[in-house]
Amino acid sequence: MHDPHETPIRHGLDRRVFLQSASLLGAGVALSESLLQGQEVPAPLELSNTGPDKIPRKPFGNTKEKVSVIGLGGYSLGDAPSLNEAIAIVQEAIDAGVNFFDNAWEYHDGKSEEWMGKALKGWRDKVFLMTKVCTHGRDKNVGLRQLEESLQRLQTDHLDLWQIHECVYDNDPERHFAKGGVIEALDEAKQAGKVRYVGFTGHKNPAIHLKMLSYNYPFDSVQMPLNAFDASYRSFQKHVLPEASKRGIAALGMKSLGGNGQPITQGVVTVEEALRYAMSLPVATTISGIDSLAVLRQNLAIARGFKPMSTEEMDALQKRCAQAAGDGHLELYKSTMKYDGDTGREQHSLPSHKELPL
Amino acid sequence: MADHENGAEAIPQRPIGRTGIKVSALGLGGHHLGDLKTVEEAIRLVHEGIDAGITFFDNCWEYWNGRAEDWLGRALKGRRDKVVLMTKVCTHGRGADVALKMLEESLRRLQTDHLDVWQIHGVCFDNEPELAYAKGGVLEALDKAKQQGKVRFVGFTGHKDPSIHLDMIRRGYPFDTVQMPLNCLDATFRSFEKQVLPELNQRGIAPLGMKSIGGSAPAVKAGLVKAEEMLRYAMSLPVATTIAGMDSFHVLRQNVRIARGFTPMTAEQMQALRDRCAEAAGDGRYEFYKLSLRYDNPQARLSHGLPLDVTQKEVQEMLFKEAGGP
Repeated sequence: MHDPHETPIRHGLDRRVFLQSASLLGAGVALSESLLQGQEVPAPLELSNTGPDKIPRKPFGNTKEKVSVIGLGGYSLGDAPSLNEAIAIVQEAIDAGVNFFDNAWEYHDGKSEEWMGKALKGWRDKVFLMTKVCTHGRDKNVGLRQLEESLQRLQTDHLDLWQIHECVYDNDPERHFAKGGVIEALDEAKQAGKVRYVGFTGHKNPAIHLKMLSYNYPFDSVQMPLNAFDASYRSFQKHVLPEASKRGIAALGMKSLGGNGQPITQGVVTVEEALRYAMSLPVATTISGIDSLAVLRQNLAIARGFKPMSTEEMDALQKRCAQAAGDGHLELYKSTMKYDGDTGREQHSLPSHKELPL
Repeated sequence: MADHENGAEAIPQRPIGRTGIKVSALGLGGHHLGDLKTVEEAIRLVHEGIDAGITFFDNCWEYWNGRAEDWLGRALKGRRDKVVLMTKVCTHGRGADVALKMLEESLRRLQTDHLDVWQIHGVCFDNEPELAYAKGGVLEALDKAKQQGKVRFVGFTGHKDPSIHLDMIRRGYPFDTVQMPLNCLDATFRSFEKQVLPELNQRGIAPLGMKSIGGSAPAVKAGLVKAEEMLRYAMSLPVATTIAGMDSFHVLRQNVRIARGFTPMTAEQMQALRDRCAEAAGDGRYEFYKLSLRYDNPQARLSHGLPLDVTQKEVQEMLFKEAGGP
C-alpha cells in the first residue's frame, strides 16, 4: 500500500528520476539540456474515433479511458463574453466530439466552474471532467473543502480527474507531500468515490515536475506546457514527457500557443502548426483555451480528421523556433511570474500580480 | 581570511583573485548612488567612502541611463588612482561592436582612460552564454579592450540562476571576476554560494558578492533577519568584496562600521543563520531577482523581446523622460 508520508523508496527508475530532479533543482535548469541531453520523444499514441469529420481520441495513460485530442480549457471559458456564449461553446464542442473538459477551483473566482457546470447540465455523462485543487501548500482540509465547492459549482457528484494546480515553486513538492498535505486529500477523495483519477499541473520548470514524480505517488496524469518552443527552453517535452510515458501516466499538454499566442502574433508559427505540433506529441489531450465560438471552430477544424505530424516535420518546426525560443520570451509562464496566480503567491508570501506583474 | 593584517580599525583589503590587486572587503554600489537627490550629495558620499577606506567602486553603463556613471566620474575627479574602478557593459546578447561603443561612453562619463574591471552585465537568460561566445559576441570586445589597455581585468555579472553562471564559466573564457548574489537566503534557493562560489575559488577567479540584503531587503522587512546580520554573513564568505548599495550617509556609515576591523562569522554562526532562513527562503520569496523579472533592466528585456512593466523605477523614469520630464 502506498503511504504518502513515507520517505519515498528510490530504486531503479525512481532513483534515476530522483537524481535527475535533484540535479536539475540543484544546478538550476539552464544547464539541464547539456547535462542530461533530454530523452527521445516516445512514439505517438494510437488514435481511435478516426475519420475525416471526427475528433480523434487517445488513451488516457494506462486506463481504458479515451479522451479527445483536443480538450476545452476552463480558464478561457470564463473569458467568454457571456454565459450564453460559454454554454454554446461547450455544447458545440461536445457535439463535435470533444470530451475532455478542464477547469480549476480558482479560475475567475469560481465563475469558470459555475459556467461549465451550467453548460454541462444534462451532458455530464458525455464528458471526462477535470478540475484542479488550489491548496498551494495548505493542508488537506483546504483541499477537501475546495473539492466540495468544485462539485457543487460543476453540478456533479464526482470528477473524472482532480489535479493539484500550479506546482511552480521549488518547495511545492515538499509541501504537497508533507504530512497532512494535499496528497492525503487526493487519497481520501478517491476512497470516497468523489474523484476517479488524480494528477498535478504546473507551467514553470521541468525540475519541479520531476521532483513531484520522484515521490513515486501513483499519479494518473501530469499536465504541462508542450509546444514547439518548449523543446528549446527548459523543456518539459525532453525531461518530463518521457518519464510520464514510461510510467503510463497520462500526459496532458497545455499552452500549445505559448500562453497568449505571442509566437503567433510575432509570426514565428501559425496556429495550425502550433496546435498540430502539440497534438502530435504522445499526450492524451492538448488543452486549448477557447473563449469564443470563432476560436472553437478554428481549433475544431484543425482537430477534425487529425493525423500526427511526422518526426521530420516536428524536428523541422522545432529547429525553426529554436533561436527565438532560447531566452524564454515566447514562454512567459516559465521566464516570468506573469502566469503565477495570486492564490499561490499569497501562500508563498509573494507580492500580488498587481505589485509584481512579471 | 587574513582580514586583520591591515589593523583593527581599517576596512580589510582582500586580493581580487589572481590579478595581484587588492580591494576593500566592502564595495560601493553604483546603482544606489544614482538614488541620491543631487550630484553634490553623491560626490560627498563617495569622498566619505574613500576616506573611510572603501577602494572598490561598482557601476554600470545602464544605471539610471548613465547618471550613475556620470556622478561617480565627477566624484572621482582627482581621486581616480585611489580606487579600483569597475563598470559593466550592457549588450544583453548583442555583439562586440555594441559593447565597444558602450565602453567609450562609460570611460567618458567616468572621466578616465581606463577601467580596472569591466564586466558583462546581467547574464540572466539561458541563451546568453551561447550568444557571448558566438563569433562577434561580447567576449571579443573584452579581448579588444584589454589589448587596447582600456580595461585591466574582465568578468561578468548576473542575478538569476547559478546554472547560467556555470555555463559562462565552463565554456572556458579566462574571466578575472564573477559577480553574483550572495547572502544567507541564497544558501537555500538556487544557490550561488553552493554551486558557483567553490568553482570560482578553485579556478582562481575573484568572486564579487552583491545583494547581501536580498535587493530591497524583503526578509529584513518581514522580520526574519537583520540587515547587519545579512551583510556580515555575505562578507564572511570567501569573496574579494561585497558590493553594497548605499543611498544615504546613514547606510554608508552603518556599513563602514561593520566593515572596519571586520571579523568573519564562525562556520557555526553562518550555519545557524542559514538554518533560520531555510524554510522561508525555499520558494524564493525573498529573492525576487531570481524568481521574477523585477531586477531585469529595460535594456535586457528589450533585447530579449520581453515585456516591460511600469512598476519598475527605470521604466517609470524612461516614460517620464519621454513625456517631457527633466
